[in-house]
Amino acid sequence: MLQNNDFLLEIPYGMRDFLPHDAAIKRNVENVLADLFQLWGYNEVITPAVEYLDTLTMGNKDELNKHMFKFFDKNNRTLTLRNEMTTSIARLVASRMQAENLPLKLSYICKVYRYEQAQTGRQCEFYQAGVEFMGNEQPSADAEIIALAIKSMQKSGLKNFQVCIGQVEFINGLMQQWQLPNTVQTDIRMALEKHDLVKLEQIADVIDLAAEAKKILKKLPLLHGKEEILQQAAQIADNDKSRKAIENLTNIYQMLTEYGLAEYIVFDLGVIRDFSYYTGMVFEIYAPGLGCPLCGGGRYDNLLANFGKACPATGFALGLERLMLALEKQGDLEELINTKDNYVAYADGKLAEAIDKAMLLRSAGEITELADRPQTLLQAEEYCNDKGYVNLVYLQ
Amino acid sequence: MSAENMEYLTIALPKGKVFGKAVQLFEKIGYTAEGLSDKSRKLIITNEEQKIRFIITKTADVPVYVEYGAADIGVIGKDVLMETDKDVYELLDLNIAKCHLMMAVPKDKKRANLLDYANTRVATKFPHIAAAFFNSKGMQMEYIKLHGSIELGPIVGLSESIVDIVETGTTLRENNLEEYAFIVDATARLIANRVSFKMKFERINKLLADLRKII
Repeated sequence: MLQNNDFLLEIPYGMRDFLPHDAAIKRNVENVLADLFQLWGYNEVITPAVEYLDTLTMGNKDELNKHMFKFFDKNNRTLTLRNEMTTSIARLVASRMQAENLPLKLSYICKVYRYEQAQTGRQCEFYQAGVEFMGNEQPSADAEIIALAIKSMQKSGLKNFQVCIGQVEFINGLMQQWQLPNTVQTDIRMALEKHDLVKLEQIADVIDLAAEAKKILKKLPLLHGKEEILQQAAQIADNDKSRKAIENLTNIYQMLTEYGLAEYIVFDLGVIRDFSYYTGMVFEIYAPGLGCPLCGGGRYDNLLANFGKACPATGFALGLERLMLALEKQGDLEELINTKDNYVAYADGKLAEAIDKAMLLRSAGEITELADRPQTLLQAEEYCNDKGYVNLVYLQ
Repeated sequence: MSAENMEYLTIALPKGKVFGKAVQLFEKIGYTAEGLSDKSRKLIITNEEQKIRFIITKTADVPVYVEYGAADIGVIGKDVLMETDKDVYELLDLNIAKCHLMMAVPKDKKRANLLDYANTRVATKFPHIAAAFFNSKGMQMEYIKLHGSIELGPIVGLSESIVDIVETGTTLRENNLEEYAFIVDATARLIANRVSFKMKFERINKLLADLRKII
């Protein structure tokens, strides 16, 4: 039983420390992802953690504004800690990299900040890894992004997960076909985003709409399943916009079949992500036992125009801490901890030999710690066991 | 023990007045388990055959279990759902435990306009809902959070008004309080965890369809 008489210094709300065990796992996951992104031809970029508030709220208007850390520079301009990377990278591509040939394939692994209620997998400071594919409007680009997201899960060691793909244009097309007023459309989108089926029914019951259409509206969040859902949806869609959305999803699905990854895919035409900049396909990845998505992304063709360079784009971001949680729940975490190979200890006067030995082992790629002072064999064995080294090398 | 076990469907039910009605609904569509009662000392009751697990919790905790995915689905009053503002999917209005939230004041000290109560004290179990209501009227209030017997507030001079749920209004009348402003209707809702809804879609969708048929 722990007694309540130790006091540790506090750290600010929503922040956390990574001690060696967790930090090692995080670093290994990062390495896996960084290698994978590079392998697929994506180049890493780094942007500053601090940006102007005006810049980061350009694509997203105000819904995330209240969750941003804000402060002022010397000239009283409002600064903010970035709350995600896509907008920063859009700024980068539209300004510093605008002379580059398209397409641009960029990746990042870094910290982002959101001022909100902290809980497991949702800290105020957290790590995101992701990629952006800019300058291509084809479904092949979307398929590549989803395939890379799935590969990211697989390479990190996650076995059990599901990808839900949707497209908000399908719903928008239907609502325009039904000639719903803009305010009602917004209410419906909000109800769908929160999956508030009760609210959706209430809206459907009071608006002026044919009975058949009302029935479809109520069923929208339940359009969930394998590729047969797309056929069902195609039958409902009696307008260009919705039909194009379904056609687009069908194309993406075919290409994912080519990648050999179709087994992970589920369609969910009720998926609406909480960033308003998405214009096409959107997707989320879920793992059992984790109450929130661990990866999300989609197409955002209009965001870069806000920064003066019209350019289609698609991408994803995954939450590193959430991925680690999912790995832990599926028991796949320990594989990500490096085996500690050797502890080199030495008797009095044998330091020079010990250094030689340690350097030899290290150059062979083995993790090797050198004792910090001469030890007896017994002391060395104790330390070696305590720290979990596989081999003890003792020089006497 | 948690919902990560893909085999089971875990249902969170609140103790109290909603419990019996919710159990009846589930029974009608064939979801039940031996010894399912809120008097049970067991907190988890399992039906191994149907792979269903019921967990019985304090009312305000149901949305918490569901948000974290410790339960896949749950039954909870809209009042509690609004107050706790949890990130869960709201699937169905079960149309049981009907009540509404309102503001009540002592009959003999009734003021002419709602605005006359600005900057006074409100006793309530629902400070968030109350604040959302008064904010929308441009009123700033002092909220006094109580956990039960809210009607006592104005009687002993703790507050000028109360915000609470009412079913029949008997308790209000017995304590010389009068309903002053309607806030919102509330009934019990079926809620689901965001990820469970995707990962166990077939089962949850079937349950939803079955419930729809009897409501």
